[in-house]
Amino acid sequence: MPTASTVTRRRFLQQSGVATAVAAAPLILPSGLRGAGAPSRKITVGIVGAGNISDSHFGPLLGDPENVRILAVCDVDRERRDDAAARVNRTYGNQDCKAYGDFRELNRRSDIDTVFVCTPDHWHALVAIDAMRNGKDVYVEKPLTLTIQEGRALVATARKYHRVAQHGTQHRSMKRFHDVAEFVRNQGLGRLDRIECFIPPNNRHVGATWKPEPVPAGLDWDMWLGPAPWRPYTSLGCHYNFRFISDSAYGQVTNWGAHYLDIGQWALDMDASGPVEVEGRGEFPSSGLFTNATKVDFTVRYANGVPMFCRTRFEGGGTVRFVGERGWLDIARNRMSASHNDLLREMQAPGKKIQLPLSNNHHENFFACVRSRQRPIADVELGHRTTTVCNLGQIAMVLGRKLRWDPAKEEFVGDAMANRLRGRAMRSPWALI
Amino acid sequence: MCAAASSPPAANPDRKSNAGATPDPWEACARLEYGGDRSPAWSVREELLATPPEGWPAAETRLLKSLARADATAAGRAFLCQMLALVGSAQSVPALAALLKDVDAVESARYALEAIPGAEASAALREGIAAVSGSAKAGMIGSIAIRGDTSARYLLAGIKGNPSEPAIVREAAGRALEHLATAKA
Repeated sequence: MPTASTVTRRRFLQQSGVATAVAAAPLILPSGLRGAGAPSRKITVGIVGAGNISDSHFGPLLGDPENVRILAVCDVDRERRDDAAARVNRTYGNQDCKAYGDFRELNRRSDIDTVFVCTPDHWHALVAIDAMRNGKDVYVEKPLTLTIQEGRALVATARKYHRVAQHGTQHRSMKRFHDVAEFVRNQGLGRLDRIECFIPPNNRHVGATWKPEPVPAGLDWDMWLGPAPWRPYTSLGCHYNFRFISDSAYGQVTNWGAHYLDIGQWALDMDASGPVEVEGRGEFPSSGLFTNATKVDFTVRYANGVPMFCRTRFEGGGTVRFVGERGWLDIARNRMSASHNDLLREMQAPGKKIQLPLSNNHHENFFACVRSRQRPIADVELGHRTTTVCNLGQIAMVLGRKLRWDPAKEEFVGDAMANRLRGRAMRSPWALI
Repeated sequence: MCAAASSPPAANPDRKSNAGATPDPWEACARLEYGGDRSPAWSVREELLATPPEGWPAAETRLLKSLARADATAAGRAFLCQMLALVGSAQSVPALAALLKDVDAVESARYALEAIPGAEASAALREGIAAVSGSAKAGMIGSIAIRGDTSARYLLAGIKGNPSEPAIVREAAGRALEHLATAKA
């Protein structure tokens, strides 16, 4: 397949919808609702959540006015949503992009084809499910959901309503990660011994004391909390830092772990399954606002015996390393190294028996599939499976004991407490239905 | 790396190293304040997480005793109900059902009841619907549906068709019925 740089934008959309996704997945029924499949039609976008994660989407989407049009943004923080809408309108030179404080209003607009879910993690499932019920295709930032229960519900909704659902693990659309996964899948390292994932540290303000603060003007705190248990507002626990509070997220386990564990899942051909065992030894703060592990250390083991661990690395950033009998490959977003150069040369050689689907751009892959109605490179099912690995690690660290996992039934074997931790009740009026 | 399958789980010496000392964390955790010291809750939670199932009834009794304290705070009740969601049984249902009628405690009580297995918890949620309205009622309907309580279909159909109910409640009932239609009986 040619690289994105060798084809025109329109040709890419025409080709990649077939070449990228056909190898991976069956056809989704056409929506037939708004003619999104028509090549000449711009795909319309609504973005829910206008914080730092959405920044990585605004640039590419606004930079593709020929194919994409952002019609609406939503955030419970008035300043953020107004700033985002103004940015869009400035770029387009009009006032067409509307700002909403409630995602349900955005999701009910009949002229929006796709919704990008960029909220805090505890909102991902509800926003995406509501969007799909209203006929939207969704791009859901990582982690796909906060809990295992939410993830299965999100997958079921995507299938029920025949929606395209892309998980925001964009490493799947980076050639370096693709090549490594494909090389490992083809036994390029010989027998695989283990996979090592390292993630950045959590909770830089460990032990932070906090006091309730007045809710800032323009912030709808009740809506920010949404399904999460109620707590009073504090600036320490709202934007960005929410990820260090387990009511909302599982810290770097789901923030960066979702990326690197995902490549392990891909290389192991576990996109529709998962590990069978997990063991964790996290260190958790016993006081202060933040509740997620200050030091992450868990290991999952697959049915073929291969273990994959995930650990905090306090210096050096995230990476995933594949270790086999022929050596190792270490890969991060911006670098790659190997135990010896022969492995890197072999990895680039053509003609591998097993060829993984190739996408060079996560956004383009998503929009191509919106047009073709095929499943994207990071389809919601594999997103759920990767997010489940993150959840298994979190639960094992919380419980501090070895757990057995049945990936077919998606339940722990012989541990009732662990099974209760697969989901949680949502605060009224929200529910996973 | 995982330990060998036959070896027992290794103790983690770091887990309790910075836990604050309290005279009786089981009592103190009922009086938690948002933004205050949560070390009593940490101690109770750690003990609970390590409790094998045969020890759950005794742990549940201690949680319920704390929950019944007159000086229990909102944060304390929320924490105790989150713990009951992990180990609670039919033993907890009467106390939690009573809290469903308390506007300040209904969310915490429902959090626990949704997770507690058994017909008693399902019945408490169905019966609790009469005591709530609006947002809380929509949430309770959601819990009933998530539990797959198909015996609530008639109740939910009545709510869905009741024009005096607000839209948020009728819509929740509609979604619940749809959910239950595909739930395992």
